[in-house]
Amino acid sequence: MAEVKEITRKLEEIQKKIKAEIPWEPVGPTPMPEIPDLRNWDMRLLKTYAPFYAPFCDLCCFCTYGKCDLTETRRGACGIDIATQQARWVLLACLMGCSAHSAHAGHILEFLIEKHGPDKKIDLGGSINIEAPHIRTVVGLKPETLGDLQIALEYVFKEITHLLDSTNMGQEGSYLDYESKALHAGMLDHVGMEVADIAQIVGFNYPTSVADTPLIDLGWAAVDKSKPVILFVGHNPATSTVVIDYLRENNLYDQVEVCGVCCTALETSRYSDRAKVVGPFSRQLFFIRSGIADVIMTDEQCIRTDMPIEASKAGSALIATLDKAMYGLEEASEMDTAEIVRQMVDDKKHFAILDPRKAAEVAAKVAMEIAPQRRKEWLTEGEAKELATKCNVCGMCEQVCPNLFNIGAGIAEVAKGKFELIREQFNLCVGCGKCEAECPRKIPIFKIMQVAASMEKWKVRAGRGPIMDTEIRTVGAPITLGTIPGVVALVGCSNFPDIRDIAEMVDEFAKRKYIVVVSGCTSMVAGMWKDADGKTVYEKYSPAFEAGGVVNVGSCVANSHITGAAIKIANIFAALPLRGNYEVMADYVLNRVGAVGIAWGAYSQKAASIGTGCNRLGIPVILGPHSSKYRRLYLSRKEEDDWKVMDARKKEIVDTGEPSPEHLAYVCETKEKAMVMIPKLCIRKNDTPQGRAIKLNHYVSLHKKYMGGGLPEDIQLFVRRDPDIPLVYKKEVREYLQRIGWKPREPVGLPTLIGTYPSKVSVDAVIH
Amino acid sequence: MSAVIPYHRVNVLTGIKSARLIEDAQEYAGLIQKAKRPLLVLGPLLLKSSLDGRLLIEYALEIAKAANIPTCATAHVRAKMAELGVKPDSFYDVVEIINALKDPNWRGVKKEGNHDLVLFFGIRSDLGEQGLSVLKHFAPHLKTMTLCKYYFPNANYSLPNFRKDEQWKAFLESLIDNLKKGV
Ligand code: SF4
Ligand code: SF4
Ligand code: SF4
Repeated sequence: MAEVKEITRKLEEIQKKIKAEIPWEPVGPTPMPEIPDLRNWDMRLLKTYAPFYAPFCDLCCFCTYGKCDLTETRRGACGIDIATQQARWVLLACLMGCSAHSAHAGHILEFLIEKHGPDKKIDLGGSINIEAPHIRTVVGLKPETLGDLQIALEYVFKEITHLLDSTNMGQEGSYLDYESKALHAGMLDHVGMEVADIAQIVGFNYPTSVADTPLIDLGWAAVDKSKPVILFVGHNPATSTVVIDYLRENNLYDQVEVCGVCCTALETSRYSDRAKVVGPFSRQLFFIRSGIADVIMTDEQCIRTDMPIEASKAGSALIATLDKAMYGLEEASEMDTAEIVRQMVDDKKHFAILDPRKAAEVAAKVAMEIAPQRRKEWLTEGEAKELATKCNVCGMCEQVCPNLFNIGAGIAEVAKGKFELIREQFNLCVGCGKCEAECPRKIPIFKIMQVAASMEKWKVRAGRGPIMDTEIRTVGAPITLGTIPGVVALVGCSNFPDIRDIAEMVDEFAKRKYIVVVSGCTSMVAGMWKDADGKTVYEKYSPAFEAGGVVNVGSCVANSHITGAAIKIANIFAALPLRGNYEVMADYVLNRVGAVGIAWGAYSQKAASIGTGCNRLGIPVILGPHSSKYRRLYLSRKEEDDWKVMDARKKEIVDTGEPSPEHLAYVCETKEKAMVMIPKLCIRKNDTPQGRAIKLNHYVSLHKKYMGGGLPEDIQLFVRRDPDIPLVYKKEVREYLQRIGWKPREPVGLPTLIGTYPSKVSVDAVIH
Repeated sequence: MSAVIPYHRVNVLTGIKSARLIEDAQEYAGLIQKAKRPLLVLGPLLLKSSLDGRLLIEYALEIAKAANIPTCATAHVRAKMAELGVKPDSFYDVVEIINALKDPNWRGVKKEGNHDLVLFFGIRSDLGEQGLSVLKHFAPHLKTMTLCKYYFPNANYSLPNFRKDEQWKAFLESLIDNLKKGV
């Protein structure tokens, strides 16, 4: 009796928070889900896509019982085994990532509520009615104001605490349960990101309900270094937007150059299309060491932790603007502005200034004062040659390089006056600076790289935020039928292993009429390539969310709009209710929306949580080779695994034997392999024969292109009946199928996992 | 054995169970020949580098032939093999073959049972080292061996960090000779 009362009270509380009385949709089974609520869904996923662990370390050193040796059958003093320890790490990484985005959301929301009040209406323009697919689905709330976003965020914060708690020494003992928790954290991350980006769009008046956003100048060469230069580094635009306001109000915007590295650059260019985007994280240190920035303003995430040291070396002034990274600097919000400026100019002192207005004024004044005294010269080839002569090819730099290449060989070539190799290597450099720190001869490798860095200027399309409902209505049918062969989302960081891979992938799939979506640093790198006509992919392809379009949603937090688009297909196109109805949405996406994420160069914990959030929603993710260091993948064993689905129309369980999508989190070593995995991971059980034939056409043709001809040897697993075979390869495929004794099988009318595992959701809930 | 630092420092061993370092080609050949069902996993670096003008993949294929070891082509290795007119015995990407190897009941690429010795050659060292870690921890039923020119702590048997390519080449050639001879 007491238990029933408790549940009712909890439910009542949730209903109050999500304003259940507003009947925009019936409330589904899991509004504001807690750890156990979606566990059965997770376990169903993990049954087919088992966690694959690559331990980074044999030991655990989390508590003072340890270090504990976890090799072979050993367990730690707390009882944990090696697999569970890996899962705990993965959960921690996901929590770091999720917290980074959610705390960003919290900060920006507070800032904007301060500015506009909590009742500021959320209006994303005439073409977006489903403003917050994640918040609606997960939380069960339809946010109408900035204040409503706070309700969603409070839920996320609460869940993060429970999840983090479970990583304490001596708690969860199952790797599967840790994975379920990691999937929970990933899902929360997408809610947090959505809060952040909606708040920013509303609060800063970013473009919305428009595809054709401005083309922004991109590249270090786009920065006018004859002017005082202010550089923003990080992710949070609270201060950068205030700087632009300040410059505008004081008629200084013409005199000062404003640019950014990483996501703050993308955010700022959504606020003002005159702001320049320097490049991705992998160019951060390179650009800072070039000394072009007079003032560097850091905010949060993906900013180097040695920024004060690097700024001083380059003679730049540094202002830390957010509490996440204060570098031990004096906080000067209460100090007299003139005095701060004096100390920064005369004493070369750096400050933390958390008050954005003050930070903006100081930045502008300091930049204008110090710029005329600073020299910003780019190294000449002759000077580079001179600096490189000291290299004795000792190889120390290669040994410490996280991208495993021999920059020393490039330096040695420069010493001979040859620049080809180092130009090539610049594309591989992830910008960590380890080589230079290790070099016994103190060779300024980054400086020398200036001669390798292309002085080309490129374009990146300004981030546009959510996909429009109108676009979803048009592409919903072709995506779920398969006639648009897939949505390919290249997301996040783009550092590893070769920066050129991204533009090539974008071009390949846009050309093939996939819908290509980009975000974060990847969106910049996609623009750092021009075709024979001198066009970047943004100039070459349509900006619409349509077959053959290349869409930049925006910064990292805008990733929520990509997954949000998948939810919107289920909700708008298939008319399935989403409110508190996560399982139905995820099941729909897994079985019917041919989307795949590629986090090719990812390095941060945020990528872990974004990717894991995609996975819970049924979207597979492909990672680059270094990402094996994330410790965990979700892999199936192809036909040996469980590919049973429920045919919701017939209410029958069918063993399809079809591994689609084959993996949920997958690492491949080369771009060539990724090119073949992408079309394969877009295959869904729901494909019509026509759609399947189109998807297989790309799978076969890319296989032939990158794998040296022939047919993929698993093609039979994806051909259900003869009409599935692409026309161009009819003869070849038929012959092959005959040779191996393939048997046709019926496609499933309405494939779903609901009904194949214990769930509160009934099979009827997936029928639209 | 005292700790050996791998050439690429990102692969430094953080733990206690590290590879036996072997420099003697005859000993390597002996281990290979003792294996009942060896497998040679071919990575894409074999297409990128050569020793004395001879592409590494050619050394790899010669090893496979000399000891009659079935091959598994990862990444886009098969494209080059097609050019050379050689068909690999299986195609899996590296994480897929490792995932299969992990399962003691897997029937192996020849359907004769899981492999007891897996040789890795030409995988990017960070991915390779992580893959070897998977097998070290979760595949006690098999042993791993590397043929790349650097030390891989997570393998069971590894070559040292060869400072000079000539040393590596000499090792590979001697290995091939020993395998051809039969020990
Ligand atoms: S958390 Fe467990 S395994 Fe880790 S050090 Fe403590 S007792 Fe050992
Ligand atoms: S560490 Fe310095 S001296 Fe040694 S190879 Fe590299 S650049 Fe040359
Ligand atoms: S800065 Fe570039 S070349 Fe140097 S170690 Fe890092 S990735 Fe390698």
